[in-house]
Amino acid sequence: MGKISEESSVLSDMNTKQNRYEALVRALHADIFRYAVWLIKDKAIAEDVVQETFLRAWKSLDSLQDEAAAKSWLITILRRENARRFERKQFDTVDIDDVSIADDVAHSEDTMQQREIRKAIASLSEEYREPLTLQIIMGFSGDEIAAQLDLNKNTVMTRLFRARNQLKEILTSQMQFGEQVNG
Amino acid sequence: MDDLSFRKAVYADPFSKDPELLKAAEQDPKRKSFWNEIKAMENELQSAMNIPVPENLAEKLILRQSLTTHTEKKKQQPWYLALAASVMLATVLTVGVMNTGNNAFANDVFAHMDHVDAELAKNAAVDLNAINAKLASFNGQVNGDLGEVLSANYCYLDKIKSLHLIVRGENGLTSLFVVPDSITESAGESFSNATFSGASFLLESAKIIVVGESKDDVSSLEQRAKRAMLFSA
Repeated sequence: MGKISEESSVLSDMNTKQNRYEALVRALHADIFRYAVWLIKDKAIAEDVVQETFLRAWKSLDSLQDEAAAKSWLITILRRENARRFERKQFDTVDIDDVSIADDVAHSEDTMQQREIRKAIASLSEEYREPLTLQIIMGFSGDEIAAQLDLNKNTVMTRLFRARNQLKEILTSQMQFGEQVNG
Repeated sequence: MDDLSFRKAVYADPFSKDPELLKAAEQDPKRKSFWNEIKAMENELQSAMNIPVPENLAEKLILRQSLTTHTEKKKQQPWYLALAASVMLATVLTVGVMNTGNNAFANDVFAHMDHVDAELAKNAAVDLNAINAKLASFNGQVNGDLGEVLSANYCYLDKIKSLHLIVRGENGLTSLFVVPDSITESAGESFSNATFSGASFLLESAKIIVVGESKDDVSSLEQRAKRAMLFSA
């Protein structure tokens, strides 16, 4: 008797865990994928890293007590998985140039302008691109970004300011260039 | 608030609700129009960063997790059972295959069983055309319902080319190997041990070997294979 009830409680725990996991995947996979693409700048690698991230999330799902913290918990796992990728693959990493990034994040139905913007974002250094992605894609506040990246808030705000400042410069100079060519 | 701090604050958070910032903008039309310009740029940034997500990514993440969980359950068996199962499989496949090179053959089976997990990890269901394209080299085709095939790959078992299908059953995953019948004489046998059970039989010009953990799944896949698979000489 005791064994049967123990088994059924293990089973129902498994089902609850499964449900929690599926809810987590459905709610957050899109944002996590986008974050990964902007961090890694390669869609195929980003998808692999997202796979590893969710697999690891499944394994330690019991340690996630508060669903509200799920986003930052997943991002922490993803950043660790991404760092691991460099440890593993330090011999065959290639620097991807900005043109291929633009191709990778661009789609035929996109406007020229969107492509230019994507290319400009991809050309930002990681220390600017990452907080910007956390703010725009994940909807994080300055304080949340600071906690996630282990920086102080002033540093985060300065990086966000510089990121947009650089983007504006790139996009403005492109527009002028475009006008000259067309004129 | 001076101009520079106003600009910095707006750049750092274009949709800020900071009362001090809002007040500073209200008092100065220039600042207000600057802010609106940055908000417009922000909307464009948002839509540019909102790249499309691969179709079925959520399903893939869930499938990968359930396959991994399945594999881990399997790995919790004592090692000697897994070894026994592999040896059993190697022995069965080796019967009538060749009189020499048995060790190489067994090693290939071991190696092959190792990469099954990796194969599964990256694949969702394989469609019928892909399976038929691979079966064509055995002069075979699937003409009916074989079940959900999760992986279809050639593998070499001691230089003998075989096609390995992994099919989802009621109780887990079942493997189906297609081997040319010229390799082997025996057919119609069934076998089992503590972990695996299996059946092998001839379909015209091919020998089919079905192996899995669940006897019911093996026999149901055997029935489906007999109905759905056709081989010509």
